[in-house]
Amino acid sequence: MNFLLQNYFEVGAIILFAIGFATLLMHNNLIKKIIGMNVMDTSIFLYFVSIGYIRGGAANPLPSGLMLTGIVVAVSITAFALALTVKLHDIYGTIELDEIMQIREEADSI
Amino acid sequence: MTTWPFILLLGYILTAFLFPLMKDVKRAFQVAIGLGIGMTLVAVFQLAHVVQSGAFTVVAGHFPAPWGIELSIGGMEALVAILFTLASTLTLAHSMTTISEEVKPGREKMFLSIVHLLMGSLLGIVFTADIFNGFVFLEVSTLAACGLIVVKDKPDCMKAAIKYLILSSLGSGLVLMGIAYLYAISGQLNMAFVHKALQLGDYPNMIRISTVLFLTGLGLKAAMFPLHIWLPDAHTSAPGPSSAMLSGLVIKAPAILLIKVITDVYGLEAIADIELLPVALLLGSAGMILGSLFARSQQDVKRMIAYSSVAQMGYVFLAIGLGTETGLAIAVFHMLGHGFTKSALFLAASSFIEQTGHRSVEAFKGMGKHLPITLIVFTISGLSMVGIPILPGFISKWQLALATIEVGPILLLGIILISSLLNATYYFPIIINGWFAEADQEVTITRSRSTKELAPIVLLLVAVIAVGLFSGTLFQWIHIGLLPS
Repeated sequence: MNFLLQNYFEVGAIILFAIGFATLLMHNNLIKKIIGMNVMDTSIFLYFVSIGYIRGGAANPLPSGLMLTGIVVAVSITAFALALTVKLHDIYGTIELDEIMQIREEADSI
Repeated sequence: MTTWPFILLLGYILTAFLFPLMKDVKRAFQVAIGLGIGMTLVAVFQLAHVVQSGAFTVVAGHFPAPWGIELSIGGMEALVAILFTLASTLTLAHSMTTISEEVKPGREKMFLSIVHLLMGSLLGIVFTADIFNGFVFLEVSTLAACGLIVVKDKPDCMKAAIKYLILSSLGSGLVLMGIAYLYAISGQLNMAFVHKALQLGDYPNMIRISTVLFLTGLGLKAAMFPLHIWLPDAHTSAPGPSSAMLSGLVIKAPAILLIKVITDVYGLEAIADIELLPVALLLGSAGMILGSLFARSQQDVKRMIAYSSVAQMGYVFLAIGLGTETGLAIAVFHMLGHGFTKSALFLAASSFIEQTGHRSVEAFKGMGKHLPITLIVFTISGLSMVGIPILPGFISKWQLALATIEVGPILLLGIILISSLLNATYYFPIIINGWFAEADQEVTITRSRSTKELAPIVLLLVAVIAVGLFSGTLFQWIHIGLLPS
């Protein structure tokens, strides 16, 4: 218990990662999936930045610099995913993946 | 000269932004093909340099290794660079005249830009000696690959692309977490320096977790068996030239990165202590059998070829899972052979679909008279996948069988045999029906192909046969700098 409390950054990051992972996999709604993806990415950023934290001293700049790159990558992936979601909504009128599958199956059977 | 890798990387990434500025699509394609031929020559020179004076590393930027980014080029990297540059150039040459039918009008130049970004990022994944740099290139390649799928602008493509994007960013998230664990215990990002730092400390659990994260993340991107679910949709719905590149090249790069992580970061001895490689072995064998079974039951010819890719990546993961230097070399060789074969197959299949208007496997009946080149492609690649001597599929299977006898249980040999037979059950009906059966209905060829369009496919086939013929030399070259000295 003491170990968990001492490393609360890392523990928090792992819990966030699990939440994001579960959201990404278990929801059918595309927006929720994208939110889960972002929560997962953010947890990794937290973990990485906390590695560079030095108690009472100046922080190690390298992990922060790396995560700046990571954030840029995450933003572009999110933007692309959102654009695709808008397109899918235009085509099918819904952003629920299971409903999209249903519409496609009905279209195939005709 | 050790600037070859920079010429390759920058040559692709910087020129990607030229194409939207050009007015004429045809001119843009000519420039892209010209650049591609130049890049292939550079890759050949790079290989000649590696063969002559051994593997080398170059510093990118002004800072030396622990701080700055390094690129490391060995025989494996140089050969894979030739595969990437040559196959993409020939694919572009093939699609030059048909591209306006494959993608949405007005997007042809965008297609060229995406292809160049994709090639730059794939070469980056292969060359880099810095794990974080590898992650950034992985993400660029994911975005570019999704771009190649949606360039067609059909509902199917959107659906397939978002599935690919979500699963692939899940994979990147896992890889990044793996990098975070490695950085936390080693404080380094350069592969060689991480390796040194790992030798000093004793953190078996952290190393175990990070290996699992790398295998899952990169396995997802390289279509390792249970994580392949995105592949059939994405590769089937994409336009023809895109499928050729996605199936031939894009899934190879993460597997190469996995090999580099295994050899350069952990080291083969250290990875043997962790129960990771048996997992790759098991999933690889499952993919070899089940991928072929799925391929058998497909009616759509492109979907069948896509599932066959899952089976072929199974061989790669089986070879990696053997955990020996020979196994890794076989994995690389199999990727070389399969890269050329699958590009040729997808190009032939999409031109078949375009010329006849049929997508089903049944429609191949009696096509030998009308579309001989397409059927020759299917025949040779089918024979290669089944394992007929001289062709690369036979060489990798033969070597794999020899390597499994040395290392693993005899059961693996049976799996390789069964998988070969299963390959035969879905390629041979096409070949036999194509050459010997009579067509059920009147065959209408809506659009015949000129020799100019078919020449690139034939050249890809020549490359396939060359890989098989010169397999001995290729194996020697792959071994140069495969393990860090």
